[in-house]
Amino acid sequence: MTVEAPELWDVLSIAGEVWTSFIGPDEPLVPAGEEAFPVAWSGAVSVTGDWSGMVVVEMPEHCAVAATSRMLMIDEPSQADVSDAVGELVNMVGGNVKCLLFGENSLSLPVVALGRVTPPGDAVEVCRADLQWSEGPLRITVHSVAQSGVTS
Amino acid sequence: MTISASAFDYVSALALRETSVVYGPGKEYLAEARLLPLARAAGMADVDAYVARLQIDPAEQRKAIDALTINETSWFRDNAPYQTFTDVMLPSLIENRRHTQKIRIWSAACSSGQEAYSLAMLLDEHLPLGWTAEILATDVSTAMLERVESGRYGQVEMNRGLPAGLLVRHFTRVGTEWEIAPKLRNMVSTRHLNLAAPFPDLPQFDVVFLRNVLIYFEMDVKTDILTRVRRHIADDGFLLLGSSESSLDVERHWTRETAGRVQLHRPVVNHPRPVAVGA
Amino acid sequence: MKALIIDDSRAMRSILRRILGDAGFETHEAEDGQVALDLMNGGLEPDVCLIDWNMPVMDGYTFVTQVRHNQDWRDVTLMMVTTESDSNRIVRALAAGAHEYVIKPFTPDAILDKLQLLGLFTEVPA
Repeated sequence: MTVEAPELWDVLSIAGEVWTSFIGPDEPLVPAGEEAFPVAWSGAVSVTGDWSGMVVVEMPEHCAVAATSRMLMIDEPSQADVSDAVGELVNMVGGNVKCLLFGENSLSLPVVALGRVTPPGDAVEVCRADLQWSEGPLRITVHSVAQSGVTS
Repeated sequence: MTISASAFDYVSALALRETSVVYGPGKEYLAEARLLPLARAAGMADVDAYVARLQIDPAEQRKAIDALTINETSWFRDNAPYQTFTDVMLPSLIENRRHTQKIRIWSAACSSGQEAYSLAMLLDEHLPLGWTAEILATDVSTAMLERVESGRYGQVEMNRGLPAGLLVRHFTRVGTEWEIAPKLRNMVSTRHLNLAAPFPDLPQFDVVFLRNVLIYFEMDVKTDILTRVRRHIADDGFLLLGSSESSLDVERHWTRETAGRVQLHRPVVNHPRPVAVGA
Repeated sequence: MKALIIDDSRAMRSILRRILGDAGFETHEAEDGQVALDLMNGGLEPDVCLIDWNMPVMDGYTFVTQVRHNQDWRDVTLMMVTTESDSNRIVRALAAGAHEYVIKPFTPDAILDKLQLLGLFTEVPA
């Protein structure tokens, strides 16, 4: 069973497993309202192949730091630590989202940015999960890029 | 966060009363995350609405208690019992059951079904052509039985002890989950059963897996359960308890045999146990 | 027991280092397949390699193929640890010579269960 776009429930279930595995068994993610927060850290992975698009994870500063601290078990993570942790989180979410999509696809290495990343201009947001855990909010979005026919 | 303080108080008291699991302040997210799938399945708008229903619906309450209880189990748990199943129990039964060519197994307190399906995988591999096997999976939790029937497991559950070769042979990915092959699912049937109460009408089993559950009962209940299990196990059958439960005082109905690292319990019979002829 | 952790993510290497270190393994790390091959050519003899699939320079699948082409390394146990979870990928990795496959995310127990399955780790009875 593969799909054109993942559903909110799929993304929640994938991200939930990532969170309980690496952030803590008592740290599930729950859906939240569309709360605006200052995006301090973004991680993105691209999917290319029969389906093309991008999976993005966005977090405010304190959430990214807290997640890194739990994941790497260090009290005061450096900026490099946060960057690594956000990269691995989006890699795991993106990798599992990729497996839901139809066709043969490959996953890019993660890209991490301070602030927001801009999806390609022709990308359409096909799924948006506003989530919450004990340290605050995070947002996961999936963007699809329309495949144009090959012309010569 | 959408769970209200009053709903959380109710859930927290319920969990403490029924399972001794503490959902203290700060665990609102945890409670909500565990109940959300149930709320969704029950067609409720949110967890608060679901908690309101819990207060008047005992069946749903049962499910909620299961969801609030951390359930950790793995495929081929502890390995050694399954090795013994393949190396010792199955060859003996194949010899002794060659006229009926049928093997019956009981996975008692089956939880989410990993034990029953682990056995199904071994039977699929080792049972001679033309033989059939029936595995009865029982549990006190109907929510767990529903999970066994669905035969679906999340990614994190799949990683726990399941060899990758068996994963690709017996499971198909369905969305974010993995689903067991119909051939194996058909080997397993489920039934609601409380070990502490008198058993319903049960057949005779060749193998009973009763692992890591007796530890939760008082001594006299344990003894009573083992006495009643004896009535449903063939004279040449095998009973397997958890590794920490093998030292239980079970002399009256059972003898112990050691097979590698595993203690097997065999029924005590007043007449000689049937011996394989011509071996 | 020596474990070689091959993953381009420093975060993932750190997580695996902790799990394996706690289980008594001596751990070594490489950020891609080529660095891992260089370490092994330089004399490192791991009992087990934990290998990510997607990495720059040399990916995990290529690393598995390369290790399996060298008879000197026939006793090295190879375990993929990756987000790639299509059945086809798992079959490909096993056919290329990987012994086991763990899909990310995983809990520490999952890694230890698999190492136990491979005979590389014995859980101390409680």
